[in-house]
Amino acid sequence: MNTWLKRIVVPFLAPAAILYLVFFVFPAVQSLWVSLHNWSGFTRDMTFIGVRNFTEALKDKTFHRVLMQSLGLVFFGGILTFCLSLFFTGLLGGKGRGKGFFRAVIFSPNVITMVALATLWGFIYNPRFGLLNSLLRALGLTRLAEVSWMGPDLVYWSILAAVVWIYVGFYTVLFMAGADKIPIAFYEAAKLEGAGNLRMFFTITFPLLWDVISMGIVYWIIDGFMQFEFYYAVSGSFPPIQIWTIPIYVVILAFGKRTPIYRMGYATAIAFYLLVIVTLLVTLSRKFLRRTAVEY
Amino acid sequence: MERNLETRESAGGLLARRLAAAVPSGVANLFLALWIAFTLFTIAWVLISSFKTNRELFESVWSLPRGLNVQSYVKAWRISKMGNYFLNSLLLITFSTAGIVFVAAPAAYVLARVAFRGRQLVTNIFVSGMSIPQVLLLVPVFMLLRRFLLLDNLIGVGLVYVAVNLPFTIFMLISFFITLPVELEEASAIDGASPVRTFLTVMLPLAGPGIITAFIINFIWNWKEYFWPLVLISSDSKKTVSLGLYGLQGSMQYSADWVGLFAGCVIVMLPTLLLFAVMSKRIISGMTIGALKG
Repeated sequence: MNTWLKRIVVPFLAPAAILYLVFFVFPAVQSLWVSLHNWSGFTRDMTFIGVRNFTEALKDKTFHRVLMQSLGLVFFGGILTFCLSLFFTGLLGGKGRGKGFFRAVIFSPNVITMVALATLWGFIYNPRFGLLNSLLRALGLTRLAEVSWMGPDLVYWSILAAVVWIYVGFYTVLFMAGADKIPIAFYEAAKLEGAGNLRMFFTITFPLLWDVISMGIVYWIIDGFMQFEFYYAVSGSFPPIQIWTIPIYVVILAFGKRTPIYRMGYATAIAFYLLVIVTLLVTLSRKFLRRTAVEY
Repeated sequence: MERNLETRESAGGLLARRLAAAVPSGVANLFLALWIAFTLFTIAWVLISSFKTNRELFESVWSLPRGLNVQSYVKAWRISKMGNYFLNSLLLITFSTAGIVFVAAPAAYVLARVAFRGRQLVTNIFVSGMSIPQVLLLVPVFMLLRRFLLLDNLIGVGLVYVAVNLPFTIFMLISFFITLPVELEEASAIDGASPVRTFLTVMLPLAGPGIITAFIINFIWNWKEYFWPLVLISSDSKKTVSLGLYGLQGSMQYSADWVGLFAGCVIVMLPTLLLFAVMSKRIISGMTIGALKG
């Protein structure tokens, strides 16, 4: 049986393997080599400078800033996203009617191009005629309606709120799919014992969902550190430094915007740090979050 | 125990307890309802505003359009060239998505069902690509495509799309192929069919739903994304629709044509939203499959 099938292993794997090797694995390995050079990308003058790009990054104030902003995004954005998603899962979990509709609506931002969402949020936060400030004015909160949501003081948190709105849809749907697998008998038994919704959530849903939640945390770490498209587009022009993420900094270093920079080697070294940080955090959270799966 | 307590309480106490239980869940449900309403509102608002004139929009952002002003759409489609970009995206994404599924399906089949030496290693190499930041590939891919003369070329973007989406697609399709019963191949072998024929006529149709899901999810993802075209495409005539919208949004600070921008948003949003409206269940289960099976 298996020998009969073994004949197809190579021809079936080859197309995917070749494309993957040429356009993914090879560039990924080459990135380490590029990061050891000083290079503008256009000339042949690629000079080997050893680990100087990596040591420079350790002293780079902008990199520190962007790194802290990314950590804040993953940490605060993660707490908000996961609390809201679990809250919605608890609310929507048991009900059958209309569940599919809620699920689809809450998820829908995830199928819309980030540029369109960025345009929408840019308008919501627009200081002069934006939806938020005009709503606040209509409610009589004239003081609050003067706030510049996209100003340097608030822009980081304003955008974080919008990003949470997008991702809550994804994680709610993820947790709901996990919650659907919990046998209904558990809840029925708990109800007979007189447990309320809150109690059932913390004693049944949360522990039995833990595996999905911990996997979700791993997903969020990857998603959070790779944020680029929404942040890059949301201000409509050059993104202010308050909302730079690590990938945005890499793109700006490599290709510049407005003024060309073309520091290909240095940009790649920063991207390499990103890989190391993400891999480290993912490995750590896999190790500490994953308990033995609960059998049921 | 609790029941006994309840029966001993006075009617007023009982009412208070009931209220205390109902109010938080009422507030919670209200919050959920507001969240859902807000999400629906945002999409509807962009759609409605795109039929206004700029003047109407600035008079009141909440009002309904006086008439069905399609001028913004005509302008976005022709003058802002969203029509061109739409066609570019349609071609690029249809072909590259078909390409992804075309190479991922046989690979996933072999990885799911044939026990060969190195299977685990090959699977790991493919799947680990899911946690590699794509921005790491930026400079090397740029160099590579320049050497192949595929820079500023939609074929180049398409090849990158195939490569970067293989990890997820293979991972997802393995989970579909693995569920099919072993007897199918045994019966085929006894009938004297070749493995290739078995794959094409027996396994592929059975994995059909999974393959369609993989196609649609990749289509939506690549339709949405503009990172790779942003760094790989420089000529205006080769832009994809998401990148075109990004450009349109960037020119807003000079044109102040908000309704035109909203019309552009609707043009980009519509295909993926329609796909989602028709097959939301399938798309949701496909996109969340990784975390559930992982």
